[in-house]
This record gives sequence, structure tokens and C-alpha cells, in this order.
Amino acid sequence: MKIAIDVSLCSGHGRCYALTPTLFVDDERGFGQVRGDGTVPPGLEADAERAVRSCPEHAVTITDA
Amino acid sequence: MSQQVFRPEDAPMALDRTAGWAHFRNAGEVVQGEGAWFLTSADAVQYAHHHPELFSSARAFDMLGSPLPLIPLATDPPAHVRYRRVLDPMLAPRVINAMEDELRRQISELIDAFATSGSCDIMTDVAKLYPTQVFLTLFGMPLSDRDQFIRWVTTLNEGASLVGSEPNPEVLQAAGELFAYLQGFVAAKRADPGEDMLSRVLALSGDDEWTDEEVLGLCFLFTLAGLDTVTASIGFVMLHLARDAELRRRVVTDPSLVGPVIEEVLRLELPAPLNPRFTMEDVEVCGQRIPAGTIVQLSVGAANRDPLRFAHPDEIDLDQADRGHLSFGGGIHRCLGSHLARRELRLVVEEFHKRIPDYEMAPGAEPRVTWPAGTLHLQSLPLVFTPAAAR
Repeated sequence: MKIAIDVSLCSGHGRCYALTPTLFVDDERGFGQVRGDGTVPPGLEADAERAVRSCPEHAVTITDA
Repeated sequence: MSQQVFRPEDAPMALDRTAGWAHFRNAGEVVQGEGAWFLTSADAVQYAHHHPELFSSARAFDMLGSPLPLIPLATDPPAHVRYRRVLDPMLAPRVINAMEDELRRQISELIDAFATSGSCDIMTDVAKLYPTQVFLTLFGMPLSDRDQFIRWVTTLNEGASLVGSEPNPEVLQAAGELFAYLQGFVAAKRADPGEDMLSRVLALSGDDEWTDEEVLGLCFLFTLAGLDTVTASIGFVMLHLARDAELRRRVVTDPSLVGPVIEEVLRLELPAPLNPRFTMEDVEVCGQRIPAGTIVQLSVGAANRDPLRFAHPDEIDLDQADRGHLSFGGGIHRCLGSHLARRELRLVVEEFHKRIPDYEMAPGAEPRVTWPAGTLHLQSLPLVFTPAAAR
């Protein structure tokens, strides 16, 4: 499982790194970035789903690795 | 087509926003009122958020007749991009982290002032004072100017209403005094810069340099959009906790629920109820055509209660608190102060409940909001509680 942020939709609400810091970090503008290449470590699938749910812009998506 | 014109002013908001926003939702997701259209579903509001080239912010705020450009709220790309590139990092969470100890100290001091007395009014003792102090701190202005600042902003905000009207002399005088104060302050900061946000904006040079008019526009927007909205949200969060003993107990027992409670109250209770845009051409939203040159009000309070997005749209349900809402807007105009506002709310709830874990509304109190209004906020929220031990 992989996660990604669509930068054309992301507007810096910051919910992804606030609620699921296991998978996201904030940048200097307060926008979210995926950790590493976005691969979801085993056991963190629920966090990935939560991040999708939490984004007001629907900018976070899950893809199959 | 619609049989009667939608009248937002008829929404019964005063005591219960559930009834108030239902008035919007029930009218339809794209509905024509007198002088403006209203978007009430989450899909419709987000369509406007994501198409700033069709839904202009610069043109939408012309009707306010502000003497200054409200930066960056009332601007469109490409100017908007230039402003946000500079401003976003100044209000990013990592910057606010560095301020947190000082902000926590300030709210603790405000609460200590009444914690041993057994009663308070959340609006006058906390909600009006704290956001103004935070703004003054952020901009490097003296906290001793707090009460004067509050008087100006209160007069200005009370003068603004949903329907455009001639400003009264009191409003004009307050606007003039606030403007002169800010102008003097900008001049002083140019001469003697500090570490604050205002000094950092003034320090920009070359292509990034801001004119005095732009800097003053930013200050004006912060005072008009950044103070009353947080004041309102502090009131609403405490209202819901005061009314619901079970919710209060859960938050006191498990502080990790502070964030979820705040998110759910933010979703249900909109300080800035309507966000205007101006259509640059004929647009089609959710199958409905809106003509060019129209004011469109994004009715976020209704969109946040969209049953397609939320299982329990009109209730506080902590299990749905991690679902994205639109209280801070969206798209390129996502509230610049959202991270700071959330932090202020968290600090208020944490420090209040450390000292005063159990409280209730004063007997006979019936907290209400004024509607129509530019900002929805409680006028008063009197609480009674067992006095805390003196600290």
C-alpha cells in the first residue's frame, strides 16, 4: 500500500500530519508531505485510511504499491 | 424554478444553529436569494473553492468598501500566490510551536484571574481577551493596547452586517482610529524592527517588498478576520462542553479528546458563516446555472452538515471528528490562521479544565447569537463552578 498527496488539491489544512504523523510530516509552509516514498509500513494501513478521511480537499489517496 | 426567493435572514440561528443551517439546506444546494446566490452542499462549496478563476475573491469584497486591500483574503492569483508564499511559513505549525509556551502562559493568567471566584463569563473573561493578546504578541505590539484594540474591533464588527448598509459615524471613527494606530505602528516597526511577524513582512526586499498599503491591508484583515472568529469559536466550544456533562467528563478524563471535540464544534458552529465570491463568467454548479457578475455566498455552515459527508451531520460525534470539514474554507484561500486558531482553542480548553473541571451554565442563561451578522458569536456565556483552590 502507498499513499500520495495530490499537490494540485492540497491547500495546507495540515490534518494529515496532525492526525497521522506516522505517515506525514509538515513542511516549512505548514503543508503536508508523505514520509519517505509514501510506502505504508505494515500495521499502519488504518492510519492511511484515516489520512484519506481527514483531508478536507480529498487530496490524500491510497494506491496499491 | 424557485417559487419564492430564499431569505437567509429568516434562518432561526439565535438559539440553535441546527435549525438555522437547516433553513439553508432545505432551500436546495444551489439557491437564489435577493442580490446573491447561496451554495449549501459540500460539493457545491468545494467546486467554488477549487475554481478561483471563476469565483473571484478580489471582486467579492468590493462591496465591503474597505479603504485597504484585505490581503490576502480579497485577492486573486497571481497576486494571491505571491502573498501566501510569504505568509504561510509565518503561520505554520512549527512557528506556532515556538510560541506555545508564551501563549499557554497568557491563557493560564487569564483563567487564574477568575478560577477562585466561582463564576465567569467566557465571552468577556476569556474569548474576547485571548485572541487579541495572541494577535498583539504575534505582531509585536504591546499587550497594554489590548482593551483599546478590542473596543475598535468590536465597534467595527458590530457595524458590519449581512446586508450592506451605510456605516454609522461610530464605525467610521473606530476605523479611522484603528487605521491611524496601525499606520503609526508600521512606521515604528520599520524604524526599529523586532522578531515578530510584522517586522518580518516589513523586512522583505526586492521583488518581494510590500508597500505600506499592502502591510496595512494585512494588519486590517488580521484584526477584522482573525480576532472575532477565534473569540466566537472559544465561546462555542465552551458552550457545547457546558451544556453536555457527559462530553465534559470524557474530555477531562481523556485529554486526547480535546482535539476531536474542537473539530466537531468547529464543524457545527461557523464563526464566519458566509464566504462571498463573485462570478467572473456564467458558471454551472451542481447542474444549476449562475450568471456572470453575481455574488455567491459559500454557506459553509450548511455544507459542514452535509449528510453525504457526515453520518451524524447535526450532532457532536467524536467518532467522526477526523473527517475533514470546511470551517477554515478550502482551496487557495484556506484560512491563513487555521493552525494558530486551532492551537489557541486547544490551549484554552486544556488550561480551563486543569483548573475548573466541573461547571455549568449560570441558572437561567440562554446564550444566543445575533443574526444576520458578519460573524456568528455568542453575546454572553456565563458559567458557575466550584471555586478552584488558589494557586
